[in-house]
Amino acid sequence: MSATVTSLVSPGALISPEWHKTPEGREYLAGILRRNRRRIFGLLERPSLSPQQEPEMVSYKIYLAGKSGVGKTATVAKLAGIEVPPTHQETPGIQTTVLYWPAKLVQREKVIMFKLHFWDAGEQALKKFDHILPACKDKVDAVLFLFSFTDRSSFDDLPHLMSRVVESSESILRLVVGTKYDQTLHNEVPTRDIREFEHRWKVPVLMIRNVDGPRTPDGKALDGRAGIMEVAQFLNSICEHLWRHDQIAAGIYRPPDYTGEPKISFI
Amino acid sequence: MMLSWVTAGSKPDLKPLPYPVIGSLNGVHMFGANHDANLVSTTTEHTKLVWRVYHDSITLIVISVDQRASDSQLQRFLDNVFNSMVLLLGLDELITIKNVERLKRDLRSCYRLIDCLMESSEMYGDVTGCVDVIVCQEQLILQDYLDSFVNSADSTFGCLLVSGKVAVATTKWWDLTGQEMYLLSLLARVLPPGSSKDIPVYLPHGSPNVPHRLLNFQILQGVEVCVLCGPTPSLTEVETELLDRYWRPSMESLRSCLRINLRGFPSNITVHIGVLGLIIMNVDLHKCLGTVHPLSSEESQKQGKSLSIARRRDILRSFYQSVTGTVFPPTPGTTPPEVVENGHGDGLASESPVEPHTEFVHSALDTYVIGEDHKCYATREGPYQIYVLFSKDVPKYALRSISMTTLSSLTKDKLF
Repeated sequence: MSATVTSLVSPGALISPEWHKTPEGREYLAGILRRNRRRIFGLLERPSLSPQQEPEMVSYKIYLAGKSGVGKTATVAKLAGIEVPPTHQETPGIQTTVLYWPAKLVQREKVIMFKLHFWDAGEQALKKFDHILPACKDKVDAVLFLFSFTDRSSFDDLPHLMSRVVESSESILRLVVGTKYDQTLHNEVPTRDIREFEHRWKVPVLMIRNVDGPRTPDGKALDGRAGIMEVAQFLNSICEHLWRHDQIAAGIYRPPDYTGEPKISFI
Repeated sequence: MMLSWVTAGSKPDLKPLPYPVIGSLNGVHMFGANHDANLVSTTTEHTKLVWRVYHDSITLIVISVDQRASDSQLQRFLDNVFNSMVLLLGLDELITIKNVERLKRDLRSCYRLIDCLMESSEMYGDVTGCVDVIVCQEQLILQDYLDSFVNSADSTFGCLLVSGKVAVATTKWWDLTGQEMYLLSLLARVLPPGSSKDIPVYLPHGSPNVPHRLLNFQILQGVEVCVLCGPTPSLTEVETELLDRYWRPSMESLRSCLRINLRGFPSNITVHIGVLGLIIMNVDLHKCLGTVHPLSSEESQKQGKSLSIARRRDILRSFYQSVTGTVFPPTPGTTPPEVVENGHGDGLASESPVEPHTEFVHSALDTYVIGEDHKCYATREGPYQIYVLFSKDVPKYALRSISMTTLSSLTKDKLF
């Protein structure tokens, strides 16, 4: 069995999927919002929660890999509640973004604050400067390999991309994310190819559409709560996979041999 | 010679130029060069065009729909554009172009910066050739924190940006040229919001061929600390080991400094109620402080209906540009036009531009302008220059004294 273990987790197995809509969930979400706008935290800032609420904080470093223009920066923007850049702008070096995500574990009924530290580097910079990839990979917990539904070659290139970035001996969580799946007219990757990919490579495929959500009534900013609801399922999915990966590494959970229907999570 | 054009403008009503037009703009310039003439600028019915060649390699052409723009302003703009390209790509890649397609692809990373140069904003460094700063009472204490932090990161170049403007910086940072400091601040401003960044940059004047790493950390929302490093330390190292240790104790001071925000100077410095905006410069240190919110919020309400913010900025900038190089000495750091070599390889001496301000028999220290809905006054003293925008209700005889008082209250205590 290869050292890279898949941890295909059914959505809702580890993290309560609808918890964010409950009163308790909304209280915790208030810690990452300010006047209904998604809060951008400085490195020395934390979500503001009452002392009784202070949940356990778990940090993960996640690197996004993929070719230029596939949607790495847009994905981070969407997840963090920042406006998605309307046109492609090449990332000039490394950009990191910290986001906080409260979630409730199903088994222990316990709330965990996930601190997700996303690392994003432009492809040109990666090729030109050799300190960038090692910096991104240093102590990374998971790598998201991105492809775009509107660009078949980015999908076909995935196995090559994965092997270029992560050695098979490294026990780093690998996830694939497909962007721009909402552009159905230009879709070049049918669902059956996705299932086949998951089956063959044992890597879960998530999907995201990086389109700005609704705005606040004054139009000046994105509506924080609405934005959160749009990415909740995706973030829960990522956290579930990270949690399961940790469990496997700690020996708490042993994955069964892979059989059965692949599960695709999407928003 | 190579023509490189960037359709980076974000103005919705301007259509991109058709390719044949660009071709003929380049063609007319080359025609001139082949006949020993350096085509510098021209004016059409609705627009102004300026050509500039950099290192015999890159030709930049700017087309401005604002006909009031002078040659030197547009030249300065092109300088900023070229140096933005150097900042992110390095001079080598721009001079020895091995692969045009690759260069065009690499230039994409500069678009954001160039777009920002074309927009009006709270920054005045593009016209003053200086870096935009703010003045805060916590300066001394924040200087200590910054110096220790930068030192621990094995560097001597660092600055603290509050709302995009420099609050404090290390001694070596102030030794950078005004344009370098301005572009570095601008770069921090145009990148998307995030937690930390590691961007390879080439200092256009200090190190155009050897990159340094610009590390940027957002400590609080609105407060960033920048450090210029070599290959070490790594981004993670600084973030995890140094940031909290050196900056956690400063949080209160930082929050206090943030409150200055658009005004740019602390609330204990009062400004006459007739002042709508000002730019103050320290030419020796290449610093400028510009604001169109000079009063506290209660005072602004007393000021009543006056010019809009956009109009204030516009007038201040135009006033500055109309005064420097004509009545006052030109903006520091204005580079003369590039020498164009003719086919025989002889350099043509470019005529040094006539400096209007030297045509006066005296050295002007004050000047003013009366407009329909405003008045402007400029004065200089030693290394300082101040440009003040007044509401039209302020009487002419008071302009000078108010400007001098404002200048001295901002420059005492050596905060600026």
